[in-house]
Amino acid sequence: MDLNNVLDFPILSLGIFLPTLGALFIWLFVSGDKAVRWAALIVSVATFVATLPLALMFDKTTSHMQFEELHPWIATFNVNYQLGVDGISMPFVILTSLLTIICIVSAWECIQTRVKEYMIAFLVLETTLIGVFCALDAILFYFFWEAMLIPMYLIIGVWGGKNRVYATLKFFLYTLAGSVLMLVAVLAMYYKAGHTFSILAFMDYPFDFTWQFWIWIAFFIAFAVKVPMWPVHTWLPDAHTEAPTAGSVILAGILLKMGAYGFLRFSVPMLPDASQYFVPLMVVLSLIAIVYISFVAMMQTDMKRLIAYSSIAHMGFVTLGTFMFTQVAMEGALFGMISHGFVAGALFLCVGVMYDRLHTRDIIAYGGVANVMPVFAVVVMFFAMANVGLPGASSFVAEIMVLVGTFDGAAVAQANMPISLKWVAIIAAISLVLSACYTLWMYKRVIFGAVNKDSVAAMKDMTMREFGYFVPLIALVVWLGIYPLPVLDLMHESIIHLVAQATTSKLDAAAALAQAAPMLDAVHH
Amino acid sequence: MANVTFPFPFPDHLFALMPEIFVAVIAMALLLFDLFIDKDKKAITAYIAIATSVMAAVLSVQAMMPTSVSAFYGFFVLDHFAVLAKVLICVGTAFGMILSIDYMKKEANIGEYYVLMLFSMLGMMLMVSATNFIIMYLGLELMALCVYVLVGYQRDVLRSNEAALKYFILGALSSCMLLYGITFFYGVTGSFDFATIGTALADVDANAHTAVMLGMVFIIAGLGFKVSMAPFHMWTPDAYEGAPTPVTAFMSIAPKVAGFAIFIRILVDAMPSLQHEYTTILTGMAVLTMAIGNLAAIAQRNIKRLLAYSTIGHVGFIMLGLIAANADGYAGVMVYMAIYLFMNMGVFAIIILMRRDGIQGELLDDFAGLSRVRPGYALAMGLLMFSLAGIPFLGGFWAKYVVFMAAVEAGHLYLVLYALLFSAVGAFYYIRVVKYIYFDEEKVAFNFTDSRLMQATIVLMTIATVALGIYPDPLIDLCKQAVVGLI
Repeated sequence: MDLNNVLDFPILSLGIFLPTLGALFIWLFVSGDKAVRWAALIVSVATFVATLPLALMFDKTTSHMQFEELHPWIATFNVNYQLGVDGISMPFVILTSLLTIICIVSAWECIQTRVKEYMIAFLVLETTLIGVFCALDAILFYFFWEAMLIPMYLIIGVWGGKNRVYATLKFFLYTLAGSVLMLVAVLAMYYKAGHTFSILAFMDYPFDFTWQFWIWIAFFIAFAVKVPMWPVHTWLPDAHTEAPTAGSVILAGILLKMGAYGFLRFSVPMLPDASQYFVPLMVVLSLIAIVYISFVAMMQTDMKRLIAYSSIAHMGFVTLGTFMFTQVAMEGALFGMISHGFVAGALFLCVGVMYDRLHTRDIIAYGGVANVMPVFAVVVMFFAMANVGLPGASSFVAEIMVLVGTFDGAAVAQANMPISLKWVAIIAAISLVLSACYTLWMYKRVIFGAVNKDSVAAMKDMTMREFGYFVPLIALVVWLGIYPLPVLDLMHESIIHLVAQATTSKLDAAAALAQAAPMLDAVHH
Repeated sequence: MANVTFPFPFPDHLFALMPEIFVAVIAMALLLFDLFIDKDKKAITAYIAIATSVMAAVLSVQAMMPTSVSAFYGFFVLDHFAVLAKVLICVGTAFGMILSIDYMKKEANIGEYYVLMLFSMLGMMLMVSATNFIIMYLGLELMALCVYVLVGYQRDVLRSNEAALKYFILGALSSCMLLYGITFFYGVTGSFDFATIGTALADVDANAHTAVMLGMVFIIAGLGFKVSMAPFHMWTPDAYEGAPTPVTAFMSIAPKVAGFAIFIRILVDAMPSLQHEYTTILTGMAVLTMAIGNLAAIAQRNIKRLLAYSTIGHVGFIMLGLIAANADGYAGVMVYMAIYLFMNMGVFAIIILMRRDGIQGELLDDFAGLSRVRPGYALAMGLLMFSLAGIPFLGGFWAKYVVFMAAVEAGHLYLVLYALLFSAVGAFYYIRVVKYIYFDEEKVAFNFTDSRLMQATIVLMTIATVALGIYPDPLIDLCKQAVVGLI
């Protein structure tokens, strides 16, 4: 048992359920928009504080799960309430609790209708998101994964833009259709791996290739929809465009990461042979996301749509790095997710700031914003540069790690590839140019130029509150860009362990088990 | 099985049958008593009937023995499974009556309405305890005849009459099929007793194969009609739409519980040797049922029709428990029915409240903007819809989960995949209801006549759905124990 478990305090449960308890409290006892906003802020800050010990007391020297909790939940089916975090999931918990605070602050003034419901939905959403990253039982994981749909459906549908009904239905059905396949995969694994839903047991169980193959495909569809990967990405631009600002932030910041996290937590460690087999598929889809979607992004006339497509392109880097099976690439992928959470989140907040003033997201409606909002222009410039991957920003670290890791991809990743991974890295590197094109072009059209519209001329610079939620994001992006080591340190052991899992074939053990199986069956009966 | 012998000790037989006797006596007494009640005080019959249903549930539990009791020469069995089914039936009936109190206030002859419900409940209680085709048929017909009348209870409403007539004609046809099937089994085995038939069919003459198959098919068809399995589902949308809404609520639960319970008993006791055949047939029907229910619901504009197709879809999922043909599957059916009871009663309670200012409140448009006017009802309806769609932290997820689990365990992975895909399709029309409630603007004014009783029902059902969604273990455990003695 690890040292931090000696404390024996259910930090993870507290982090998961504090927002919901807070939401319940707000629902029952708090009235008045102002009081609700403050109460929600207090709850989210409290949750952040409650999750901080995870980072501070995290044991960097082990790849084992930490802060574990285990209680029987549905004993009849051996479903357990099992929680725990390692270096892969812990950063996401912190990221979620941090971004939720920012979301709540950002909604302070732009959400004027049904404030109470909005805050409750957001806090419930936070519960489900943290739950996903902490769950070590596949059914518990699925439970949170699916429950997330309810608040998100309402957030986009109630507080979204004009075309919100279409967007939210599309979002809901895409995700649901993907995730039911995950449930089938989980049930199949339960059946195969000896009546357990423990994610750790699934990682250890030697599935033979046929099982790995089909289960991998089911997981792939579920996670690919969520990431989202080309060609199942079409829900994302719609959902992003129609969602309220904070909804977009949480969507880009956390929800997209759930898919990639799924690959890291399920597909790669549980199904290493299938994962290696499907490397070419993942590489091709990632490259399409990186290159093709970047071109698509360039052609957008709506700022939120543009950033949404840019998110898909950046997630292409993440999926590429995940399937290179080297420590550098995987850490780069993981780091990229965290960095993208801040950068894309901040960009959506920037659009939100402008939207609050002009109530349009069209690029052509702006122009010359720098003249009327100088401070804001600097902030946007900063995040635009971060989105491009300028050295000094966190995204640079992530992208360079993925590229280096891909260039030097693991032998098992190379084995199934018809071309050298070096070429893959070179193609992926094109996106550095493309992302500069679409980001800076948008920046030029929106921020620079002369003010020739009255509406733009009337825009006021950021308020202190607006500036306030950019400050931590700027600080984090710079910090992670210049000195990423503390965060990378947290991941090292877990990623090394994951690389070992990913590159070790389960087939020999599966064959051995198949030989022994008749005897085992005899014992069972 | 503790086989109580006739004639001595005689009271034991009656003791096993006590809940049914109690219901029969009260129902008949109520019919007389009703004559002496003033017109404006008719509600009292409702309260008596509700109390009777609750009492019947309590008595059923009381009558339960540690082991199953077989009374009246093995015509009647009282085991844990029957008791569980009876409790669900009685609770479902009680809630059907609670929902009726306000809705039926202005109808004539309201006393008989509750008596009919009680008799229908009696029929179902007999049915789930039957170990013999004759008793089963008697119970089934007692139930069905009462429900036909209940569906047509609004005499001056055209669609109510139409629904009743359609339901009656198709119901009579299905009863014929059932009887026809039973005669085949009787012809082959010379018995009406489930267990005797089961043993006899195990080593039946090869020449009788066709007769056995015909019997099985007709029995499945007849029972399938009662629980709305496709392709015998045609009556469901019309009957659901035309019936008074509380009757719709009632018939979406109690007869389904009874139907599935007796279905399980027949499959287990009378047809164990035909497992391969009936699984094949049921699989085909389940595939059809899920598709029809979930696809046809998408096109509906009337929420009662929508829920009728939704019921068909759910029946398709429940059938997975029958197809699994293992203890988990049968327990899953009961878990599903129990959770479905809470969800559906809550939904119908809200639909009943939507009747206002001379509009029926049954169109989806009538729900538009509900969340702005009544956030409480909107939240309940939203949660129940998400639950029906099978989204976690709500009961509906576990309902699906248990039957799917059992089907996977029995090796029907592809069927589960198919079912899950259709549950994703089904989610569309449920969340579309949420769309009307939460995203749309008010189209028709809301002037609710609030009723504390209805509100309490809604709150109770919603809380139960959420609670079962978070911690379903006790219910699953209960149902698993109830089926232990069955197999």
